[in-house]
Amino acid sequence: MDTAAGAAATGNADELPDNPFVLDNETAGEPQPIFKTLLSDAPVMRTDFGVVIARHEDAQFALRNSELFSSDMDAISIGNVRPLIPLQINPPDHVKYRRLLDPLFAPKQVALLEQDVRELTNQLIDEFVDRGECEFNSSVAIPLPCTVFLRLLGLPLEDLDLFLEFKDNIIRAPGETDVEMARVRAATGERIYDYFNHVLDEREVERRDDLLSQFLDAQVDDHKLTREDILDICYLFLLAGLDTVTASLGCMVSYLAQHPEQRRRLVDDPTLVPGAVEELLRWETPVPGVPRVLTRDMEIAGEQLKAGDHITVLLGSANIDETEFPEPDNVDFERPANRHMAFGGGIHRCLGSHLARLELRVALEELHRRIPDYALKPGETPRYTQGIRAVEYLPLVFPAP
Amino acid sequence: MKVRVDPELCVGHGRCYVLAPEVFEADERGLCLIPVAEVPPELEAKARIGEENCPERAIVIED
Ligand code: HEM
Ligand code: SF4
Repeated sequence: MDTAAGAAATGNADELPDNPFVLDNETAGEPQPIFKTLLSDAPVMRTDFGVVIARHEDAQFALRNSELFSSDMDAISIGNVRPLIPLQINPPDHVKYRRLLDPLFAPKQVALLEQDVRELTNQLIDEFVDRGECEFNSSVAIPLPCTVFLRLLGLPLEDLDLFLEFKDNIIRAPGETDVEMARVRAATGERIYDYFNHVLDEREVERRDDLLSQFLDAQVDDHKLTREDILDICYLFLLAGLDTVTASLGCMVSYLAQHPEQRRRLVDDPTLVPGAVEELLRWETPVPGVPRVLTRDMEIAGEQLKAGDHITVLLGSANIDETEFPEPDNVDFERPANRHMAFGGGIHRCLGSHLARLELRVALEELHRRIPDYALKPGETPRYTQGIRAVEYLPLVFPAP
Repeated sequence: MKVRVDPELCVGHGRCYVLAPEVFEADERGLCLIPVAEVPPELEAKARIGEENCPERAIVIED
């Protein structure tokens, strides 16, 4: 596969009409070369499954104009029967939900979780530190964000495996054909609604100190959230808040395992970690694109687009666009201006971005404090998934203490 | 130097008030507030850091 156009035209687009990403299993580990080709040769490219928008400027335009580039249910189908809140809600209703949710996920609020996240990270590291090796995805990248999430919602930790099954069945639905995958998604969707319905019944009787209880008493527009509203929020949280952090942590640690001089800088000066989190979010862009549907005919970069076109706003290419980022290949933890779009932008800017940043920073701080030297296990290669770039196999070795 | 935020564009990425808390603050939702629009000379560099890291280009600096 040598050109981006080739990647899209010959990739498995036919099998994956719901999949908005250009990446396949081979390129997911190192997508930047494809993104570069797109930026230089095909900044707006029509493929079998829609139109890919690659440049930073155009991506920002699309995300800012949410009436024109809609993220409603037509943009992507992920097993839900009603619009997910707030992702698939358009203005003017969208902001009503964000007014309710934003304060719960604002930096001040998530800062209260720091100690908890730090302890949890250390408990996970305790499990394998003496062994001198670990598979990072299953040892840290999966359990850390998932446990934080279960605690936040007030759900029992025993449900972890069930949750992982739910989100994997939706995000990476098993099946050979579209129809099979859609069937798995729909069946899993039903189980997700049932699961949360059951817990909400319990909270209805007895409130606890958790987000679900807060939702039950929350007001939108002078009336309470309905049961369906709460289900539609929880469904999205499950899909948006677990896999994304897992993928980001995996991408970052994989990069740092393969760039020891960069890792050494973080070990020597942990104050660089927040900048490293931003720069690695830019360089790796673990959520490489977001889906939209165009609501009117329009032209971008000389390409005629039509109402109803499925659009992928490619955040990964926008984040290495040299018109916005001088020397985009230089992974610089002290990059002075970093307007990266790894959390999207416009009204659907990631609700969990401040929580995600906290988890990523604390995880990198503790990992490098406890295990300053690590490398990929000799002879092994990390394995990245398509779509959201989780590193599903990341074997590391390090000197045991 | 004067600095302001365009409320139409700010969506609460929080880069400004995390990187330059001397100039920018957060409201309850995590959107940007600028308590003092007139930036004293010693904070001008900070204000620019905020402006250069706002993904929405919501911060406007007037020299
Ligand atoms: C590093 C980790 C994360 C990344 C890279 C990420 C990325 C994104 C992106 C790119 C979007 C925009 C989607 C679009 O415009 O179509 C988004 C939206 C969203 N994210 Fe995240 N996310 C992360 C973590 C989280 C977490 C921890 C939560 C927890 C609740 C979360 C909840 C949401 C929600 C609710 C939305 C929809 C917001 C809206 O439509 O108004 N995300 N995220
Ligand atoms: S960085 Fe920009 S979008 Fe984010 S809070 Fe500051 S002004 Fe608003």
